[in-house]
Amino acid sequence: MDSFVKISNFPMVFEYKQLFIQGLLVTVLLSILTVVIGFVLALILALMRLSNFRPFSFLGLNEEGFEVDGGWRSVVSRFNPLSLLATAYVEILRSTPVIVQVFIVYYGVFSLIHLPSFTFFGFIKFDRFFPGVVAMGMNSGAYLCEIIRSGIQSVDGGQTEAARSLGLSQAQNLRFIVLPQAIKNILPAIANEFVVIIKESSITFTIGVQDIMSAVNAVKGATFILVEPLLVATAIYFCLCFPTSKIIAYFERRMSRGDKR
Amino acid sequence: MATNGNTLIQVKHLKKYYNRGAIKALDDISVDVHQGDVIAVIGPSGSGKSTFLRSLNLLEQPTGGSIFFDGVDITKKKVPDASGRMVKMNLDLHRQKMGMVFQHFNLFPHMTILHNMTLAPVQVKGMNEAVAEKKARELLSRVGLEDRANAYPIQLSGGQKQRVAIVRALMMEPEVMLFDEPTSALDPEMVGEVLEVMKELAHQGMTMVCVTHEMGFAREVGNRVLFMADGKVLEEGTPEEIFERPQNPRLKDFLSQVL
Repeated sequence: MDSFVKISNFPMVFEYKQLFIQGLLVTVLLSILTVVIGFVLALILALMRLSNFRPFSFLGLNEEGFEVDGGWRSVVSRFNPLSLLATAYVEILRSTPVIVQVFIVYYGVFSLIHLPSFTFFGFIKFDRFFPGVVAMGMNSGAYLCEIIRSGIQSVDGGQTEAARSLGLSQAQNLRFIVLPQAIKNILPAIANEFVVIIKESSITFTIGVQDIMSAVNAVKGATFILVEPLLVATAIYFCLCFPTSKIIAYFERRMSRGDKR
Repeated sequence: MATNGNTLIQVKHLKKYYNRGAIKALDDISVDVHQGDVIAVIGPSGSGKSTFLRSLNLLEQPTGGSIFFDGVDITKKKVPDASGRMVKMNLDLHRQKMGMVFQHFNLFPHMTILHNMTLAPVQVKGMNEAVAEKKARELLSRVGLEDRANAYPIQLSGGQKQRVAIVRALMMEPEVMLFDEPTSALDPEMVGEVLEVMKELAHQGMTMVCVTHEMGFAREVGNRVLFMADGKVLEEGTPEEIFERPQNPRLKDFLSQVL
């Protein structure tokens, strides 16, 4: 009986195992860097969205210096350009495909900025890898921003009131009271985003990043077999993502147990 | 027992309106708080008691009037300094001098009791960590919780949490303590231990403003009682005047329900 998989093809794929190992390394490295860049970006975006920067606030004050409610002056006084900017960024990045973003970053932005072309770890091409990291980081920054924002908002308002009533400034309240509690709440969601990034990073092979998918492509080009290398890639991605999500689930259970005590 | 010293907080025509004045949470309130005063604020729910108390350290933004604390109008964004120049009002500085105790304790759950207490003095006042810790342990032993210094808030009972919340506020050596229904979230058998701490504080001469449903406490410890309803102070007087000879029909009605 015919099958779309030929066992006899696997030994041929196996000869290219070095490519898959390199691809695995690139995928893991790319994902970790993406999470780091994405997290820093997301923190900045979330703080911008939650900021209280209102340059026109003076318009909403009456003669005695109190805020009036209602009317166009009150609406304009609440305008927060930082929040608008961050919200626009997040909504645009979340409403467009990753592949479009990756192409715009690689063929658009980095056609103007000339990156030095060198390889590191012996095989990773910097001028492909770096735009890939930037594009993925920008994308995950938008998603992580929403996670962090919801985490900050999930911290009970009484915590902030208690901190401020003790004389802590807004920044001190954020640093000592709100963020430590928010991060504990959102750690599982961040870890889940990490799994998503591992899978989505496969898109960067389209701009020549030598990840696992690019290894598949290379084997296909050399041997004209496609399905078997794809199955190898499937196995590798599964072995990366499944244990990661299981480990996350374990920690999630342990954390929620701590809350009930 | 009234020790009417200097005026510490002067509230003048304080207003808090919602929906362009359709809802008046605080409707033209004027109250003076003198040094050593223990003021009990009573009234039916929704009368604006908590809003009034929370306005005193601007957790609630008023929409009119003024609050003078240490001679500075803290409702203004800019205030004159010693030389008469207009400078930005430093609200954090004033809040340090007003301790606040909440109905739901609001201890920081990710920190030990000791850390809860030392955080603000160390970070805000720049107090030495060891000095702050020693002070915290002293205060804890005063409320009988010295052995819980390294516990987390979740391991404490409601009454214990509220006692910690009180001494946490005391760590900043406030000039006045604001209590927002401190016993309302407690099981009945734990109310006593918290009131005991508050009573002791009052006897030491601490200036206090307490929003409370504990009429016994208001009567016994307070030197002045404010009765609020519909965002107004309807009657003000000594505990005797309020509880023995109430004038306002709303107050009479209220007292007949709670006593």
